[in-house]
Amino acid sequence: MAEGIRIENLVKTYGSGDTAVHALRGVNMAVAKGEVVGLIGPSGSGKSTLLKCLGAVIEPSSGRMIIGDNVIYDGGWKVRDLRALRRDLIGFIFQAPYLIPFLDVTDNVALLPMLAGKPNTVARKEARDLLDALDVGHRAAAMPSQLSGGEQQRVSIARALVNRPPVILADEPTAPLDSVRALAVVDLLNSMARQFDTAIIVVTHDEKIIPTFRRLYNIREGITVEEQNST
Amino acid sequence: MISLAGRDILHGWGKFVLTGVGLGLLIGVTLSMAGVYRGMVDDAQALLDNSGADLWVVQKDTLGPYAEPSSLNEDTERPIRAMAGVDRAAGVTYLTMQIAHEGSDVRVMVVGAEVALPGEPGQPPHLLAGRRIVHGHYEAVADVKTGFAIGDRVKVRRNTYRIVGLTSRMVSSGGDPMLFLSLKDAQDAQFDKDSDAIVRQRARTASSPVLNPPGYPAVAEAVNAAQATSNNVNAVLVTVKRGADADQVAAAIRRWQRVTVYTRADMESILIDKMIANSARQIGMFLVILAIVSAAIVAFIIYTMTIGKIREIAVLKLIGTRNRTIAGMILQQALGLGLIGFAVGKIAASFWAPFFPKYVLLLPADSLRGFFVVMGICTLASLLAIHAAIKVDPAEAIGG
Ligand SMILES: Nc1ncnc2c1ncn2[C@@H]1O[C@H](COP(=O)(O)OP(=O)(O)O)[C@@H](O)[C@H]1O
Ligand SMILES: [Mg+2]
Repeated sequence: MAEGIRIENLVKTYGSGDTAVHALRGVNMAVAKGEVVGLIGPSGSGKSTLLKCLGAVIEPSSGRMIIGDNVIYDGGWKVRDLRALRRDLIGFIFQAPYLIPFLDVTDNVALLPMLAGKPNTVARKEARDLLDALDVGHRAAAMPSQLSGGEQQRVSIARALVNRPPVILADEPTAPLDSVRALAVVDLLNSMARQFDTAIIVVTHDEKIIPTFRRLYNIREGITVEEQNST
Repeated sequence: MISLAGRDILHGWGKFVLTGVGLGLLIGVTLSMAGVYRGMVDDAQALLDNSGADLWVVQKDTLGPYAEPSSLNEDTERPIRAMAGVDRAAGVTYLTMQIAHEGSDVRVMVVGAEVALPGEPGQPPHLLAGRRIVHGHYEAVADVKTGFAIGDRVKVRRNTYRIVGLTSRMVSSGGDPMLFLSLKDAQDAQFDKDSDAIVRQRARTASSPVLNPPGYPAVAEAVNAAQATSNNVNAVLVTVKRGADADQVAAAIRRWQRVTVYTRADMESILIDKMIANSARQIGMFLVILAIVSAAIVAFIIYTMTIGKIREIAVLKLIGTRNRTIAGMILQQALGLGLIGFAVGKIAASFWAPFFPKYVLLLPADSLRGFFVVMGICTLASLLAIHAAIKVDPAEAIGG
């Protein structure tokens, strides 16, 4: 399988000198396209820091990050426009759906291709196809406030997928959900990963879903340990 | 690309429109204040235009007759009339007073003008209705703004006058409508003493051996008669002959008479630069304060709207929206608010202008200027919110 994302020896130190916080001390990860992995660890272990480095919103201190075929970080950023990098290569799913309240469902999803310069009609067509694939096509014209929580989460997944990024970062996507819904979301992520050939990293401490990951990265004090789930 | 600003406004349009209307009323007040100033200038221009004069001859070293009291003997006009370049010269009196009318009173400027000849300066140049004053006494022509009608009788001091004609846009520099009387009647009204004063003056004359020399009663009578009448005017209005240069004529009058002479330009500068100047500064202060208040309102509203969307802005940035796009969204919202406000303000000002007691003149050029000022203020006011939005870290969208 082609590689979605690879991280080598990633280090992130906040501050310097006496007050330096070594949040990541050498993280190694590799996730194939089509694969969903869990990223778990106790509070303060560095999960959010890793996600922010992968999401190109904070700069690592050293190491290498490769998304698809693009070396994006190698001791320094290798791409000039991080904004475009986030828009084109990374999908984001948050704890809450964080849909834009003043855009309807279609445009919430179509916004990304529009930002990438696609004509409105093309962007909306892509959005509607994806909403159909996620079973929320019938709510395409609704405003986010009119959707149920589950529908909002699906729309936010559609938004993460719409630019067909090689990698999707999901930050506690099941935190507010009960176990039935939480498992349904994980199923959905698995099928989307296969269908759209994308690597998905799910940051979670949700005990309900941890057993569903075939592969897990357990991060402790800034160092990742790879684990396999026997089931 | 879609208009994020437009979608956001449509989404919360109720609040947006209400704020716009509130801002609009404020802008309406601002436009009206400017209109009040324009009205004052226009009243002053109308006063000068309608006097029909090219030159104003007033008491030496005064700024009369509108800005300062001025008193001249009415015979001053005779030698002036004979001077080269002078077409006509006529004495006028001006006196602002309250006149009782149908239970209430009206503030008017009583103008005494020479009525014997049509077209003398100082008379109303045009009548809306009725006729000009033809009898030497007890007839009056009133500006419609007085509310008087033809046939009404109005009391000025001790005498009653019948309204025989109506004119329009004849106002004092203070905006008070004019009431025209014959010069003689107006002089009486202006210089009339009350009965007690006359009795006391006569007693004083009688007890003075100089004014009432024993054995010559005719002297005291003559003194009393002289004291009871007046032949003073406040100014002599002069028109110059066609082709004559007003400045040269003014210089000639100044050379030969012990009077002060003002040209039209001098008079404008007295009325506008001296009399209205303080009111203009007053209004200017109001305009500045209103501009600051409007800016504060727009800044506050746009800032709260933006702060309320911080999370969405972080998400927008995280998924790749440029700062420029987000700043544009906020700026467009501020300008949209300004646009609604300006439209509401313009309509409101036009609606309520006629109800103002004084003339409110809304100039299209002022509206245009107001429009650009509003847009400028909205742009400035949005800077605070734009700054806050630019500062938002896309990492905030990812939980700590
Ligand atoms: N902006 C920051 N500045 C300094 N230290 C930070 C910052 N963000 C996180 N940290 C520290 O880095 C470590 C890892 O934090 P974080 O990545 O948020 O862990 P997690 O998400 O697993 O709880 C913690 O010790 C935290 O206090
Ligand atoms: Mg965290």
